[in-house]
Amino acid sequence: MKKIRTWLDDRLGLEALSRFGMNKEVPQHGHTIWYYTGSSILLFLGIQIVTGVMLALYFNPTIKDANASVGRIMTEIPLGWIIRSIHSWSATFMIGLVLIHLLSIAFTKAYRPPREATWMTGVLLLCVSLAFGFTGYLLPWDDLSLAATKVGTDIPKAIPVVGTWVTSLLRGGEDVTGDTISRFFIVHVCVLPLAIFAVLGIHLFLVQRHGMSLPLEAERRKETLQSLPFWPNFMLREAGVWLVLLGALLTTAIFLAPSLGPAANLMSPAPPGIKPEWYFLFMFQTLKLFPSRILGINGELVAVAVMAAGFFLVLILPFLDNRPAERKGRIITGVVYATFAYTIAMTIWSLL
Amino acid sequence: MRLQHSLFTRRVFLNSLLGGSLTAFAAIFIGPLVKFVFPPYKEPDEVKLAAADYSGLPANEVKGFAWGNKPGLIKRAADGSLVAFVAVCSHLDCNVTYLPAERKFYCACHKGWYDENGTNIAGPPPSPLRRLAVSLDGESLVVKKQG
Repeated sequence: MKKIRTWLDDRLGLEALSRFGMNKEVPQHGHTIWYYTGSSILLFLGIQIVTGVMLALYFNPTIKDANASVGRIMTEIPLGWIIRSIHSWSATFMIGLVLIHLLSIAFTKAYRPPREATWMTGVLLLCVSLAFGFTGYLLPWDDLSLAATKVGTDIPKAIPVVGTWVTSLLRGGEDVTGDTISRFFIVHVCVLPLAIFAVLGIHLFLVQRHGMSLPLEAERRKETLQSLPFWPNFMLREAGVWLVLLGALLTTAIFLAPSLGPAANLMSPAPPGIKPEWYFLFMFQTLKLFPSRILGINGELVAVAVMAAGFFLVLILPFLDNRPAERKGRIITGVVYATFAYTIAMTIWSLL
Repeated sequence: MRLQHSLFTRRVFLNSLLGGSLTAFAAIFIGPLVKFVFPPYKEPDEVKLAAADYSGLPANEVKGFAWGNKPGLIKRAADGSLVAFVAVCSHLDCNVTYLPAERKFYCACHKGWYDENGTNIAGPPPSPLRRLAVSLDGESLVVKKQG
């Protein structure tokens, strides 16, 4: 055994990595709980990969068979219904945790130098996660997913000059058709996984390179905080958190399996009460509220511009919040709270 | 090494030459790849339908047809003539439906309303429904782009 280890280490040089893992320390303080969100996201990402591969064994990404093949997974394939339910719920858990992770970092201002790039790759990971959700939503190809995709892919049309081009790039033509299913499928199972691995690789590398961030106050007072060895102490606690999350996931997946409507028909009217996935609801509600014309400009264009500006501000937040301990920092915290409140309020409103 | 009046060293020059050439070479392939991802599609100039299917349509009722990949609706107007609409909301592309009782077109996605002539009257739609020209040619009903 020892011989094999030395042989491998001589070739791969893994000793340095395992030494890094053994010596890694996790600071203990009032905000330590937020550290768990990162690894929990990885748990759900892992579940998505495993269940996603399983679903792809039976899914047919064509206009004729997409809906029927999901139906077959749910009714004929052994345990198919629970695999689909876990895939659907794990997506929700993962995006929920990504949002909590992001908010915890915004509120503790953990994006302070030198962690700006870590924040920015994190925002990109949020985008990739949302793109996963958006492309995956179409694949069961029922009335709801068709209408949601028509709306979602029509939004870029409001962008001047390139808008129509972007929409037909997303749809594979002027309208949502069978070509859109193939496109969304390959993006969902190939392009986005490659993207998430690339960005996640950089993100995790940066997290290890800079170490865990300390709370702003502790850093200012130059306090020395107690810390816990990552292996095995912190890992044990993480395993506990994972177990609880896994239990919650399985419980929801068993009791609240997602439905499957009849196959979408390109010619039938949008069903009443269409709603996108919950994480797009605040945008959905915002779009509903915007009048068709604002000061002579297309209302949709204004809505898209506002959302794009909002996204850009989130991306460059570490640079805007360059004096976190002063008044400016407190104002920015207030704005983050207000944005959070707006998102929650809009989401609740859209559900009423 | 740098020549006397040169702005950069020979190394920088060579690096940029090689790097630039490789980038330009890679860029050649962007065009064809971009071309490939847009399938050809042309909206139909006209659609021919069997007139008999629509002759019995009562006033204030609609019947669907396919306008390329989009749904179309043929409606019997109050004066007895047939009018055709592309049944796609001008807001965000959802398929609309006609509610005969209310004499309105309705889009369920964001609660958009159009009157019986397809004019946007409430909710987010920024413009009327697209109208198509309907004419009778022997046994067939010809639906054409307007104008």
